[in-house]
Amino acid sequence: MTGRVCRGCGGTDIELDAARGDAVCTGCGSVLEDNIIVSEVQFVENSGGGSSAVGQFVSLDGAGKTPTLGGGFHVNLGKESRAQTLQNGRRQIHHLGNQLQLNQHCLDTAFNFFKMAVSKHLTRGRKMAHVIAACLYLVCRTEGTPHMLLDLSDLLQVNVYVLGKTFLLLARELCINAPAIDPCLYIPRFAHLLEFGEKNHEVSMTALRLLQRMKRDWMHTGRRPSGLCGAALLVAARMHDFRRTVKEVISVVKVCESTLRKRLTEFEDTPTSQLTVDEFMKIDLEEECDPPSYTAGQRKLRLKQLEQVLSKKLEEVEGEISTYQDAIENELESSRPKAKGALANLTRDGSVEDTTSSVFGEDDAEDEELEAAASHLNKDFYQEILGSGLSSSSEGAGDPDGDTRPPALESLLGPLPTAASLGISDSIRECISSQSQDPTDACGDGELDLSGIDDLEIDRYILNEAEARVKAELWMRENAEYLREQREKEARIAKEKELGIYKEHKPKKSCKRREPIQASTAGEAIEKMLEQKKISSKINYSVLRDLNSKGGGGLQEEDAQPEGRTATRKLSRRKTPARRHRADPVTGVGKRLRPMVSAQPAKKAAAGEPLPLSPSTLGAEPARPTAVLVESGPVSYHPEDDPDEDDPDEDDGEPCVSALQMMGSGDYGCDGEEDDGY
Amino acid sequence: MDADSDVALDILITNVVCVFRTRCHLNLRKIALEGANVIYKRDVGKVLMKLRKPRITATIWSSGKIICTGATSEEEAKFGARRLARSLQKLGFQVIFTDFKVVNVLAVCNMPFEIRLPEFTKNNRPHASYEPELHPAVCYRIKSLRATLQIFSTGSITVTELWK
Repeated sequence: MTGRVCRGCGGTDIELDAARGDAVCTGCGSVLEDNIIVSEVQFVENSGGGSSAVGQFVSLDGAGKTPTLGGGFHVNLGKESRAQTLQNGRRQIHHLGNQLQLNQHCLDTAFNFFKMAVSKHLTRGRKMAHVIAACLYLVCRTEGTPHMLLDLSDLLQVNVYVLGKTFLLLARELCINAPAIDPCLYIPRFAHLLEFGEKNHEVSMTALRLLQRMKRDWMHTGRRPSGLCGAALLVAARMHDFRRTVKEVISVVKVCESTLRKRLTEFEDTPTSQLTVDEFMKIDLEEECDPPSYTAGQRKLRLKQLEQVLSKKLEEVEGEISTYQDAIENELESSRPKAKGALANLTRDGSVEDTTSSVFGEDDAEDEELEAAASHLNKDFYQEILGSGLSSSSEGAGDPDGDTRPPALESLLGPLPTAASLGISDSIRECISSQSQDPTDACGDGELDLSGIDDLEIDRYILNEAEARVKAELWMRENAEYLREQREKEARIAKEKELGIYKEHKPKKSCKRREPIQASTAGEAIEKMLEQKKISSKINYSVLRDLNSKGGGGLQEEDAQPEGRTATRKLSRRKTPARRHRADPVTGVGKRLRPMVSAQPAKKAAAGEPLPLSPSTLGAEPARPTAVLVESGPVSYHPEDDPDEDDPDEDDGEPCVSALQMMGSGDYGCDGEEDDGY
Repeated sequence: MDADSDVALDILITNVVCVFRTRCHLNLRKIALEGANVIYKRDVGKVLMKLRKPRITATIWSSGKIICTGATSEEEAKFGARRLARSLQKLGFQVIFTDFKVVNVLAVCNMPFEIRLPEFTKNNRPHASYEPELHPAVCYRIKSLRATLQIFSTGSITVTELWK
């Protein structure tokens, strides 16, 4: 009882009949409302005799889905892209989740994550499958289910690192902190797969204890949890007299054999490994070990230190060598005073090797070792000197000249290093000069600052012709396969061009996003939408208008409509060749519309739709209707339209308009010819 | 403090990446034929040129954009880039050295102690992310400095540029 007041008598006693949907005043009997929308459940009898409620289930997330008008509208007019994406995502999540045996709660959570991701535009530019997998894995992590990222990548056949990247991004963007993975979670799963039978639980417990121990020994940081699990399970199995080979374990745990072995050796290094089985179950050692990578690092450090010590010792040895060197040099100077002058002259030249050898070649007695020494002016020199020094020092002991002329040999030996490295002298100079260059060289104007750049060396980077040819040949040989492919591709394209079936694979143009239609009334909205979608203009506009506004302005539309029709017809005559191109997509559209058109009420609606186009566009520019595709091809439903259109018009009591008149043959005589086509 | 001095000592710049443009079109084929230390990758359309003196590798595109990697300091990177431009000039292209920019600097550093990654991640929640299944290091991002640090449990840390 709504407590309304009757219009007729002013009485408040109004009876509502739910079944008939009437509101009647009991005082004067006037009907206030009929066809009230009632919220009642209606029952319908089945063939089996039972009754079921009338109605449809509407899903929670299907918001915005318009119920199909009269059924059969398969075009995605009502759904927007976002809803479609979500629906698609939901479907895929369920599909994947069922394969992973996730429960419904997890799947719902995953869908929520997905919705969040879509709203933050994280699905753009990424494969939907990756995003779905990342959402699912996120749920697995937060719920603590024993699913690995590897499982998901197995299902999808995608690289696990790619999935990982997407997952990390998702977790970061959604600000969800996934708790760190605990290897203990995987134990029951792997144990089950390894089939321990009755002792499953015991083995799992042992493996868990092992894992705890490993954690305390810092073996688990930075390692794949599955690898640790594998090692723990292997040891636990052996402890309980189960023979599980390494191969079996790795097939379950999905790590490499070498990884497993490494974990086992690391565990071996810990003191816990020395305990027996029983001791292990009872005792827990107090001390904790360092992580194995750290111990490895320490070992390396120790090696380095050893090396340093060794090198120091080497230096000492070298010191000894240099003293011998001095001794020899003194002897030389003392034995050949005249040679010194020659030496001094020649050292200025820089070609020391020849002088030393020539000088040394003069005297025979002491020359043998010295000659040998002179011939090896690199490191062997020192060995020889040492050898010769020992022999000559005994001779040189007789010579009192100890340290009279040390500089001579030094001048002799001095240029030796530079002589050996003549080739890089200019580059060394360059390096020195380059370091002194200022960072304030003018780069703003774009000119290349040439300071410090040695042209000579750069010239060396440029090959001459012969070298270039050789190089070209080498490159050709290396890349022969690629070149062959390119040539084949070109040949293929040329052939296709000849045959005329060459299709240029243009990069797909991203479809422009249409602006949402803004209209004040439903009719206007539909007009605009059809304007954009470019469905055929043969459909009767006025009928649609009638649907919306009950008969109001029907006359006007009729008059407008024939004009519209004729105008478009006229244009179609002029532009028929152009139309034929357009006809292809349009016939496609027309085909879509035809099944719709066959159903009567649907037809009316469809018929009415695009025609409001013509009057509106006509008013603007006559050129505009070219956007409206007029089918000059076979449009079978068209003649059906007219009689149907006539009927409702006549029913409404409007003046009869013959089909011909509607088509406006009176005004445009030529159109009659065209109409013959129909 | 010993630890401090160690940290200050150990940080080493291992790589500097820079880009610059030569405002001219480069004929990769010519460079490939006449350059001494070049690798021509025709399928991706670039030329790799390696210099010895500042030990750098440069990737050259035909549009004139060049990326230069392998230098051990910023000055060296600039020097190498200039040498490269000079050598291109000698090959005959009208090279103008513009838009030089250091894009990435990679450094390594060693802590004398080991680091416990799971606890570290827990204490540094928004910045640190640790995925043992994927990578053994914690990825710590500092947005203000545009840096990404990879922290390993041995105590070695890699510092690089934050992308995104």
